[in-house]
Amino acid sequence: MNRPTGPLVPPETHIAQEAERWQEETRGPAVAARSERRDRFETQALKWPIKPLYTPADLDAVGFDYMADLGFPGEYPYTRSNRPNGHRSDFWTMTQVTGFGKGEDWAKRARYMLDQGLSGLILEYDLATTNGYDSDDPIVEGEVGRAGMALDSLEDLDKAFDLPFDKLKYLMSVCNAPQPVNLAMIIAALEKRGIDPGDFVLHIVNGILIEYTCVGRYIYPPDDGLRIATDCIEYIIRNHPNWAPISIISAQLQPAKANPVQEIAYSLAIACAHIDAVLERGLDIDTVAPYINHFVVNVDMDFFEGICKLRAFRKCWARLMKERYGATRPEALKIRMMTSPTTIALTLQQPLNNIARLGIMATACALGGAGEAMTTPLYDEAHALPAENAIRVGAAIQHIVAYETGVAETIDPLAGSYYVETLTKQMEDAAFAELDKVFAMGGAVKAIETGYIQRALGREQYERNKDIEEGRRKWVGVNHLVRADEEREIEIFRLDDAMEEEQIRKVRDLRGRRDQVAVDAALEGIRDAARNGANLVPACLDAVRVYATHGEMCNAMRDVFGVHSADSQLMGI
Amino acid sequence: MATEYKRPLRVLLAKLGMDTHTVGITIIGHALREAGMEVIFTGLKQTPEMVCAAAIQEDVDVVGISTLSAGHTRSLPKLARLLREAGADDKLLVAGGVIPEEDKALLEQAGVHRIFTMGSDTRDIVAYLESWWETRRAEEAA
Repeated sequence: MNRPTGPLVPPETHIAQEAERWQEETRGPAVAARSERRDRFETQALKWPIKPLYTPADLDAVGFDYMADLGFPGEYPYTRSNRPNGHRSDFWTMTQVTGFGKGEDWAKRARYMLDQGLSGLILEYDLATTNGYDSDDPIVEGEVGRAGMALDSLEDLDKAFDLPFDKLKYLMSVCNAPQPVNLAMIIAALEKRGIDPGDFVLHIVNGILIEYTCVGRYIYPPDDGLRIATDCIEYIIRNHPNWAPISIISAQLQPAKANPVQEIAYSLAIACAHIDAVLERGLDIDTVAPYINHFVVNVDMDFFEGICKLRAFRKCWARLMKERYGATRPEALKIRMMTSPTTIALTLQQPLNNIARLGIMATACALGGAGEAMTTPLYDEAHALPAENAIRVGAAIQHIVAYETGVAETIDPLAGSYYVETLTKQMEDAAFAELDKVFAMGGAVKAIETGYIQRALGREQYERNKDIEEGRRKWVGVNHLVRADEEREIEIFRLDDAMEEEQIRKVRDLRGRRDQVAVDAALEGIRDAARNGANLVPACLDAVRVYATHGEMCNAMRDVFGVHSADSQLMGI
Repeated sequence: MATEYKRPLRVLLAKLGMDTHTVGITIIGHALREAGMEVIFTGLKQTPEMVCAAAIQEDVDVVGISTLSAGHTRSLPKLARLLREAGADDKLLVAGGVIPEEDKALLEQAGVHRIFTMGSDTRDIVAYLESWWETRRAEEAA
């Protein structure tokens, strides 16, 4: 040490020695006199032990190095923030996903939202559509128009797009497995209305690989699913470079109980599978990475796990792009996150308590850097259709965090915390170890095909449910402060037979009056493209324009790719 | 006879309809297996016909359905009817998921033996199946 006076040992060692002395002389006797409230203190999802005290000696133990681990905001490795000035110039974009009603009234609701000053919309489809069936397929009886808009043909989307496109700047379309069909339908609908696709951003979710690990809205086998997604990504990069061709919804892994390390590792492994597939099409990493870096990330109730996860996520992405791919452009090295409090922390019981939970999780999102945008779920989401009141409170929560708490006034205010930096670094190291394990298996597709990821998640789901059932994790309203007299009400969607019948009538009527010869030829074109490896999007566009239906086009791909079915092993049960 | 009594309970777990959220059914699957039962999973997006065929093919004692979709008022009675028509209504049919209180009577009348709604403790489910199994074996022995 280059100092004239002071201890002969490095300061961290000195502090470590002092910490031992403190433990022996001061804390030890206190704990002996008054035992601790728990046998073990551990983080909620990772179950990593939490020490009673963190000091500079802990940073030393994990090899923390300010310049290498944090650097400065807007610079590699982006741990502190993607933005050079944090949120001092602008807050994150505050958005809200509020469900847009069903079926044909989507355009009406969308117009209303646009009139309220929103410029971005999220278009969600019913389960028949996302699973690749037409409304009149017997297998989807009862699902038509329920969880989102029913979409059978260009005619449906044309009606939905009866919107003031001068106000609409961003449209996210959530349709994973049938993505080329859906993308083609949107392009054709814009064409039909004479809308310039360069005037707004279409963001397709297109995150099929996550669907095989949890949630399960897949159709085709994983490697075909990846090829289909890659076709859409390549088509967008080459034809609509201002659009966004994918979102890695890490926020699907989190409710499936991925712990922060699994979540970072699996979502990054999945991103790498997509990147590798697009690179094979002859594009370079600095072009491709800025198209694959859209993530949606949830934060759960463990405050520090959430904050550290967001910090570690930025750094892990930057390192991965630089070290694995040799990316150099800042746009390639920066992950773009939309953050959100998780719905799985919310309870059906005593729903007003959820407002407190949302406030705390939104604060954690902000302290973790918030991402480019934040969205908040609604406090009554667990038990009912969102009430107007819940929508207002949901919007207010983000404003309260932004304007009233001061957490966004300085950049990355928790940096340097002995605990936060230790946990961030441990998460990064563990995530890279798990990521390397997946790479050693041959990557995300292999880890899905062997059921590795699904089984890892299945174990987490079971273990963490046991924590609650056996009372190791206290959850207010569920196993703690439970009110015996509480009445629980679940409001659920009731089937609207008339709407379903109307949609079925429409699609059958369309089949009767279109040029069937042209449709058959176009569907054969999709089969050809599927077989010979040509990009599927142009083939789907041809079919959409002659009014082939959504289910028919998905079936044409089923004819070639077959379907994916998962047994216990592949489901992680 | 004694050895047969020790045979583990065979349970078919299935998701009916297009809803594919599997956290609930995964937790149940692990809990039943932990309790020594044999668990078979059908895969996602099953129709009542597919589940009925699998139940017979796999010769299970229990059929457990997870539903988070509003279609349960149609699909569950249909499954019960199909099992009955196939002479397989000796199998215990149970269901869980998002099922409102007011639908319970209708479903039980249609032949669903027991409904476990969201938040049910897996230990209660295991205990229920074990006690049903014990009663069933005792009846058969008598």
